[in-house]
Amino acid sequence: MSDLLGYVITGLGIGAGFALVGSGLVAIYRVTGVVNFAQGAFAVLAAMLTGSLLGAGVPHGLAEVGGVLLGAVAGLVVGVIAIGRPGTSPGTSLIVTLGLGILAYAIEVLIWGDQPRSYPGVPGVAEVAGARLQAHYLLIIGVTGPVFAAMAWFFARTDLGKALSACASNRYAAQVVGIDVRRMGLAAFVLGGALGGLAGVLTTPVQQVTFDSDVALIVNGFAAAVLGGLTRPVVALAGGLLLGVAQTLVAGYGGGAYQVEVALVLMLTVMIVQSARSGPVPA
Amino acid sequence: MKAALLLPVLLVPLLLPSRHLATFVLLTLAAAVTVGVSLLMGYAGQISLGQASFYAIGAYTAGLLAVHGVPPVLGLLVAPLVAGLAAAVIGFPLLRLRGHHLAFATLAVQLILLSLLAQATWAGGAIGLQGIPRFSIGGFTLRQDLGYAYLALLVLGVALLVSRNVVSSRAGRGLRAAASSEVAAAASGVPVGGYRLVVFALSAAFAGLAGGVYAFYLGYLAPGSFPVLLSIEYVVMAVVGGLGTIAGPVVGAVLIVGLVQVLNTLGTQPGMPDYAPGVLSYAVYAILLIVCVLYLPRGVVPALRKAVARR
Repeated sequence: MSDLLGYVITGLGIGAGFALVGSGLVAIYRVTGVVNFAQGAFAVLAAMLTGSLLGAGVPHGLAEVGGVLLGAVAGLVVGVIAIGRPGTSPGTSLIVTLGLGILAYAIEVLIWGDQPRSYPGVPGVAEVAGARLQAHYLLIIGVTGPVFAAMAWFFARTDLGKALSACASNRYAAQVVGIDVRRMGLAAFVLGGALGGLAGVLTTPVQQVTFDSDVALIVNGFAAAVLGGLTRPVVALAGGLLLGVAQTLVAGYGGGAYQVEVALVLMLTVMIVQSARSGPVPA
Repeated sequence: MKAALLLPVLLVPLLLPSRHLATFVLLTLAAAVTVGVSLLMGYAGQISLGQASFYAIGAYTAGLLAVHGVPPVLGLLVAPLVAGLAAAVIGFPLLRLRGHHLAFATLAVQLILLSLLAQATWAGGAIGLQGIPRFSIGGFTLRQDLGYAYLALLVLGVALLVSRNVVSSRAGRGLRAAASSEVAAAASGVPVGGYRLVVFALSAAFAGLAGGVYAFYLGYLAPGSFPVLLSIEYVVMAVVGGLGTIAGPVVGAVLIVGLVQVLNTLGTQPGMPDYAPGVLSYAVYAILLIVCVLYLPRGVVPALRKAVARR
């Protein structure tokens, strides 16, 4: 029993990372129609910078904020290049973000080398109702919950959030009432960058990061986001948590080997069922 | 391809210094895979980020058969069949997806395949499949790089020929119609879904055939030889060369492999840090892809053709 609880809490911690990456994808996709392939790179960049800052003696907290800020800046840069030219179609932008994701490899290897990196998080082992787990997972869950609450408040209550939602639901109408759609797209990229950066900063202490760990992150994040049709952040949260728990349960009870397959087959099934329900729609 | 162009190409392996033959073989195989990617993206309007999976399936098919004593020629013929069949089975549910969904789905398929291969002890697991014999026909064994250069050219020739015939066929015209408007094409009686599946399987078969040659050439296969980045490289070559042209994939492959090779040589000069070749080649892929998509969206070959026509 306590094994199960331990797996579930660990899974929620891992899933929170997927949910953050996924909700970043959702934020960008809703507003711009672009699926951002560089989303995983934000997490890697943020984690690498945080590791360097910590190594240079910057205290915890400050170093992590620095990482998230770098994620946001990287988001802005990707946004400017991917949607900056008027008339760029979302399909073209997807390929541009793919290219930027590879460019990030070059930058990361140049600055940080190609070896796996990590840094210490919350030390020690926590005990929750008899289940023993790494204490850092509680921090991941404890940060992700409020972040999603803040996002809900941001989209529903602030002017910027409402303008972003307006662009998401009807770009043309948003333009008519005087919202700068391009600027909103860039704001979405900044938000997506910060969320991706947060995911990287939070999860690196429990799983190492290398320059190419963005592929696993983006695929799991996309899997989480696709459950909500790429448009609902809250469903991306649920999807990410579900995915994380499913993976740890498979790893815990079925042996560690097949956890990658679980997430991917789940994602493929959801996508195929969704497309079967909505009928073949031309892209 | 014009016949006049063919002769100089056939002389290239003979004129190349032997230390460059390995690059030539890999380049030619990459071009053959890219012909399929270009067909898929340019004519069927589909993007596949998992094309290296079919390269891997072909390579492992040929490699495993040969290790178990099946004549290499037979293995090389079966490799594209297995890859094409795998694509048909996977593509049947997957090709319902469009755009970015399909891109992620093909990426997922490749990650699943890599993970399964790493666990498959019968295929060598993560350590890899070793001891694949050299390619042979009857009593004649292909030992020199030069022989593999011509075998690779043969594979590229087959891919180009089949692809040209498909494009100019009735099915090819239907596909082009479907790429611009699926609804209109379907309304005019084009069996869009069926054609897409066939093109997907055909592009996988090209990759499988090239993969078969790769297996005999290297004599050793591991899951790590087929990373996701390899799939992305094929997309970069196809996009840079020009989608929907016959020469595009070849030009794209030559351009990119050539450039990466030059930078590699630069990057391995004494005094350069050991990560330099990696950094340089990532940068080349990334920058070429971004610049091409934004400023030469139809690729190098159509742009050149236009420039020549204007003069």
